[in-house]
Amino acid sequence: MGFLVWLEATGLAEWVRSSISGYPSMIALHAIGMAVMVGLSLLLDLRILGWFAGIPLQALQRFFGLAWIGFGINFISGSALFSAQATSYIVDWVFMTKMTLVLFGAITAAILQPAVVKAGPSGVVSGGTKAVAAIAIVFWVVAIVMGRLTAYL
Amino acid sequence: MEAFTDWLVSTPINGLVLNYAWSWPTLESLHFLALCMLMGSLLIMDLRLIGFNRIIPLQAVHSLMPVAIVAFAVNMITGFGFLFGDPYTYFANYAFWVKMGLIVLAGINFLVYFTKVEPKIINLGPNEPTPGLAKAVGVMSLVFWFGVLSYGRLLPYLGTGGG
Repeated sequence: MGFLVWLEATGLAEWVRSSISGYPSMIALHAIGMAVMVGLSLLLDLRILGWFAGIPLQALQRFFGLAWIGFGINFISGSALFSAQATSYIVDWVFMTKMTLVLFGAITAAILQPAVVKAGPSGVVSGGTKAVAAIAIVFWVVAIVMGRLTAYL
Repeated sequence: MEAFTDWLVSTPINGLVLNYAWSWPTLESLHFLALCMLMGSLLIMDLRLIGFNRIIPLQAVHSLMPVAIVAFAVNMITGFGFLFGDPYTYFANYAFWVKMGLIVLAGINFLVYFTKVEPKIINLGPNEPTPGLAKAVGVMSLVFWFGVLSYGRLLPYLGTGGG
């Protein structure tokens, strides 16, 4: 808890909490990063499951790269938002559930990205890869819902 | 305008949105999920129009169009839910009107795509470059839609004079 108390006292946390532009700018960036990371991930997962079969699996590699940029934006903006109310967030089970699911979602992306590269031009992915893509969709959908509910609970 | 907002709040939808603790968060969750699907599919389609990931045939990226359309429809429906719930706040907020204006511009941009670009590019195969107009439409689409997203998220913090 000592670290979180310190975090809340930093200039960054103060800026997010009290300035006119701090919280809105971070929350807007967080929405953009979400759209890029989760939006692309959901579609790439669906492609791995066999939807939009005309899109070559090889093409997914570059979109995964783009999705990680969205993840980076949200890591930074999310850290800033977290710092403002760190001690409250850490005891909020809805928020902690969301963070766990985001972590799981990121792990699925890290597994799926090399898997689509390995699929090569033949575009055949293993049943295990498809299972990861299916679970990934569940992780992301519940993470979004929990993220939204964090504002209420 | 006042008569219109009075009518919005007099409808049973207003009660449905406001009288249950779960309805507003449910609408928001759906709005967020659909915006992810909309932006994800737009990113893949528009970036291919611009020239990114040319190994994808145009027909194949076009298969994402129904996703974008359904996602937009979900957000229009859930968006109307917010409006029926709290029209005074939205109509008095300039950020809401900027967001709506950007959606109109995105719609016009889509019409340009549909009438002028799509017929020319739909049969382009892998690695074929797209014409300049296709690139311009792709860039504008991303600019407008990320603008819609940003203004939408900033709505509660900008111009909240009305509520």
